[in-house]
Amino acid sequence: MRLNTMAWRSLSRNRRRTLITSLSVALGIFLAVTLTGSGDYSYTNMINTSTIMGLGHVSVAEEGYNDRPSLSRWLRDAGGLRDTAAGLPRVTGAYPRIMGQAMFAAGAKSAGGMFMGIDPALEGTEHNFFLRSVVAGSLFAEADGRGALIGAEMAKKLNLRPGRKMVITVTDKDGELASELLRISGVFRTGDHAADSGIVLVPLNRLRQTLGYGPGGATLLAVYTDDLRRVADIRATLAGKLSSGQEMEVLTWRETQADLAGLIAVDRLFNYLMQLLVGLVIAAGIMNTMLMSVLERGREFGIMLAVGMAPSQVARLVLVESLWLGCLGVVLGIVLTAPWFYYMSRTGIDLSGLVGEDYSAGGVLVDPVLKLRLFRESALAILASVFLLTLAAGIYPAIRAGRVLPAQSIKEK
Amino acid sequence: MNEEQIVRLAGVSRVYRQGNVEVRAVDRLDLDIRAGEFSALCGPSGSGKTTILNMIGALDAPTEGAVYLEGRNLAELSRGALSRFRRDRVGFVFQSYNLIPVLTAYENAEFVLALQNVPLAERKERVMAVLREVGMADYADRRPDELSGGQQQRVAIARAVVSEPAIVLADEPTANVDSEAAATILDLMEQLNRDKGVTFLFSTHDQRVMDRARRLIRLRDGRLAADEGRK
Ligand SMILES: Nc1ncnc2c1ncn2[C@@H]1O[C@H](COP(=O)(O)OP(=O)(O)OP(=O)(O)O)[C@@H](O)[C@H]1O
Ligand SMILES: [Mg+2]
Repeated sequence: MRLNTMAWRSLSRNRRRTLITSLSVALGIFLAVTLTGSGDYSYTNMINTSTIMGLGHVSVAEEGYNDRPSLSRWLRDAGGLRDTAAGLPRVTGAYPRIMGQAMFAAGAKSAGGMFMGIDPALEGTEHNFFLRSVVAGSLFAEADGRGALIGAEMAKKLNLRPGRKMVITVTDKDGELASELLRISGVFRTGDHAADSGIVLVPLNRLRQTLGYGPGGATLLAVYTDDLRRVADIRATLAGKLSSGQEMEVLTWRETQADLAGLIAVDRLFNYLMQLLVGLVIAAGIMNTMLMSVLERGREFGIMLAVGMAPSQVARLVLVESLWLGCLGVVLGIVLTAPWFYYMSRTGIDLSGLVGEDYSAGGVLVDPVLKLRLFRESALAILASVFLLTLAAGIYPAIRAGRVLPAQSIKEK
Repeated sequence: MNEEQIVRLAGVSRVYRQGNVEVRAVDRLDLDIRAGEFSALCGPSGSGKTTILNMIGALDAPTEGAVYLEGRNLAELSRGALSRFRRDRVGFVFQSYNLIPVLTAYENAEFVLALQNVPLAERKERVMAVLREVGMADYADRRPDELSGGQQQRVAIARAVVSEPAIVLADEPTANVDSEAAATILDLMEQLNRDKGVTFLFSTHDQRVMDRARRLIRLRDGRLAADEGRK
């Protein structure tokens, strides 16, 4: 049977209704792409922003470090680990870092905060948010020098600017107090209050000496990837390659930044629920259209059944119709959504006027520009949902069409 | 012409219930139709003509008694079997709006053959032949709404006979067309009956149509009032 031809002609018989219904499908696709797209973009963005504050997408540390971070838990051979990690597929960066609490003092003023020891030869703006946000001076050049890159708010509080000196006091690996004189090489401003008022970057090798670590020592190795969906794979491969010298843990950002992971999970769930709701409303619209069309055509189906078409074939005809309606909606949806998506994935909308000065939410920096990005999985999921929903919406009308009683329906009209 | 019995109604009643009211549309009717007949069911409105045709065509089932088509008791067939039975053994022509609106005249006539999975080439040959027979070959590509009522009926007849069914049931096939078109339709049915041996059972309450039937089955209140002209 030419079910497709018949379905297509039936749809074109009531052009306006077909158009309105497929437009609603198109609108659904538009909404789904926008919602999923802003999720795919902003989660990636939040994760990246947060991970480049220090911990990485995947991090390696001594066993127990994540639960109770302490300078007494440190990796003995961070350099060797770095070489291993950097060679893995999809890994775009691996950096030994030392992170911990310290007191910073200049003149009569002092402030508590965090330090992050980094190797200036390895680190760049890509995987280090602070280097991206330098507003005065620059990063120190030598790993064993006395430079320091300081947050703008702390600089203000301690009355510091590039060239001035301060003293950092830490508890070393054995619990002894140790101090070191540092000279400010630059100031950064990220927009996050906690970071700007509480973080100081210091040279890695200098810190190793201060803390009593060996030349390969670091509290953690921060590993970065360009594909967030691969972090579990990277963690597994990395864990498999660890040398046996020391008990170590390899964790992903979901574990090291459980708050962020929770925030994203809740937001994503909410996002999906919203899309499900939109999907159901649209499916109800399709079902309504198909049902109306089926009820109007009782006589037609009655005749088909009378001359020997099987009820299942009649039902299939109606299903094919709703599938075509869905297809039409997808085509319209793509036509409608493509320019919007193109614009939003490149340019986006700048919301900085609305957000104000502090771009952080729950300690996570938020990009003030709203953009869209769609993982291939998300795009396929949207398409699959549209087809499933249109198919589901067609089932009841299809059954009704197959159940038409010819003797009754032919008498009508 | 052979005397093979195609339809037999044995003590058939059809009772409609509406709330507490019972309507006996057909009342203990015995009837048989043989191959090659050209017979008319006639009687006033409400006498049961449509009900009888529907039961013979397996679109409706009797409340009592049995309907046999080519010797088979329709009550014993499954829904699927009844559907196939209608497809292969019965041709239907209804009073009006017989055709599937989204299909052309050609496609309407072809519809049953397509359901039977007749090969495309054979289908085409048979459909064009029957459309020529009913004088609609030139209108093959028109949709029903581009045809007159009489032309639509001719296409409906083409669809009914193209699958070579055992019987064509036509419920007041001329009721909705003018007398000229009615005459054409009757000529056509007569010609198919005479030349191809198609068995026709049609209903009417139009005297001019009754005059063309070779057998008149007169009904009154669902009962046989007279059976005339049987040869
Ligand atoms: N679905 C139904 N429900 C209730 N009663 C019905 C139904 N169909 C038919 N009837 C009744 O059965 C009787 C016979 O109806 P039927 O349609 O067979 O008559 P008919 O001879 O075809 O009449 P007409 O010439 O008007 O078409 C009528 O009294 C009618 O009211
Ligand atoms: Mg009738």
